[in-house]
Amino acid sequence: MVEPAQIETDLLAFVQREVFAADAGVTADTELVPAGFDSMSLVRVLVFVEQTYGLWIPASEITGDSLRNLRALAGTVARLLQARQP
Amino acid sequence: MNLTELLEEAAGRWPHKAAFIEEGVPVSYSALVEKINALAAQFRALQLPTGCRVGLCHANGVGYVALTFALWKVNAVVVPVPTESTPEEIADMIAAMQLEAMLAPKPSAGSVAVGPEIFFTRLNPPSPPDNHGLNLAFIRFTSGTTSERKGVALSHETVRDRVASANRALGIGPDDTVMWCLPMAHHFLITIVLYLSRGATIVLARHVVAGPFLEAINRWRGTVLYAAPFHFALLAQDQSAAQMPGVRLAVSTTCALPQNVAEDFFKRFGRPLVQALGVIELGLVSLNLDDPRGRWNSVGRAAGDFRVRIVEPDASGCGEVAINGPGMFDAYVAPWLPRERVLRDGWFFTGDLGRLDAEGFLFLVSRKTAVINLAGRKIFPEEIEAVLNRHPAVRESRVFGRAHAHLGEVVEAEVVLDPPEATLDSVRAFCREHLASYKIPMRFTVVTALPRTPVTGKIRRDSAAAVGG
Repeated sequence: MVEPAQIETDLLAFVQREVFAADAGVTADTELVPAGFDSMSLVRVLVFVEQTYGLWIPASEITGDSLRNLRALAGTVARLLQARQP
Repeated sequence: MNLTELLEEAAGRWPHKAAFIEEGVPVSYSALVEKINALAAQFRALQLPTGCRVGLCHANGVGYVALTFALWKVNAVVVPVPTESTPEEIADMIAAMQLEAMLAPKPSAGSVAVGPEIFFTRLNPPSPPDNHGLNLAFIRFTSGTTSERKGVALSHETVRDRVASANRALGIGPDDTVMWCLPMAHHFLITIVLYLSRGATIVLARHVVAGPFLEAINRWRGTVLYAAPFHFALLAQDQSAAQMPGVRLAVSTTCALPQNVAEDFFKRFGRPLVQALGVIELGLVSLNLDDPRGRWNSVGRAAGDFRVRIVEPDASGCGEVAINGPGMFDAYVAPWLPRERVLRDGWFFTGDLGRLDAEGFLFLVSRKTAVINLAGRKIFPEEIEAVLNRHPAVRESRVFGRAHAHLGEVVEAEVVLDPPEATLDSVRAFCREHLASYKIPMRFTVVTALPRTPVTGKIRRDSAAAVGG
């Protein structure tokens, strides 16, 4: 299985490269929405997660808690991946 | 004629009304005009020649709006550059569109700051662009391989006409508040320009979670939602009991509305989504105001003064959709091809296959052209194929859109590898290096050959070919 820490690293690398400017100083603890994360950013992250882990995060999991920061989002992805293990 | 006049006229009538609300902060019509005039003064000081083509790369928001109108005010031509573009994509665009200047969020060699995080850089195209005497306002560049990429050029007069036509269908007025969540680099004319010429208020909705989005709609008394199916799918997931009583129109655009999204949204809010067909060459072609519930999968009847016909329909009535109406594009750029040479007897052939029912509702069946639409962003398969084909282990490739339950469409690729034992990992890494993230194929399939057309041997792009992929 993919470790939450690995998912966090992947997500952070992705948003630093593709969503926020590299010098914006975004970390796994940065609050996403106040930092300018919008619905277009979300689409890109959802596509990235599907491309990387083969998982579509359902809209019901898109909540204030899961999108608070990348650590929380990585936790959500890890839990959903775990839940579909046979 | 200059499009800034439309905004100035609105500002004269409704000076104190909010034109834009961003992060809860309203900007009045008169304040927006002042902002535009201040920027225009800076552009004048930079001595931009009339008709100068300027690339605009800026985040969504009132700043983007002000920069666009300020460039128009000094008679420059705005060429939107999506912020998610890679440096390679931007370089391609600068060369293909012969951009003479660039406005970007970061400084570069010789750049001048014209505002916070807005830097102006003069570029010197090897040969100066020729606008063929047109009063150009806008060029929308669509990338692709050399033969496929093009710019769609629109004059101020053209945009004015298509805005007027679109509003005969949308009926936007000073009592409207539009909740905005689409990228302005991809959607601006029959939307933002229209709203601001009619005294409406635009609320920038960045929301990524259903609850706060719905709260914002009600807090700002939104009357119009204009968004992609993705946004409606998100809203439909809201678990509260809140409705959206002020909303009079919820328009789903950018890609076909998936049935589950139409159903979920109706179940949750008791109102149907209205599908619209917007085409960059044409404007707002149709809008399904008349039967959005019964014919949820129709893009509706021709809007405003547009006319739609089906060319050479087959037994089921399905054929290529041809359209004419006001405010059709002026020319393609690079190479320059005036509208008259593109239209056939005054009709624009869209490349979409569709049918009209007895009451004039248009149903799009499939595309003859292969543009992929991912949650509001247009993607050209040829561009992605060009990147894939540069990878040493890819002999050839075919990229197409596949229906995606949540996003409308996603990008998929078939590749023929050489040597066959090569792996896709390095192909994926190569894509990450050269393509904006949303253009990277969601799924790769290794095949031994690609489907080709029998006569010309071209790679097949019709949807039938994609079904087997």
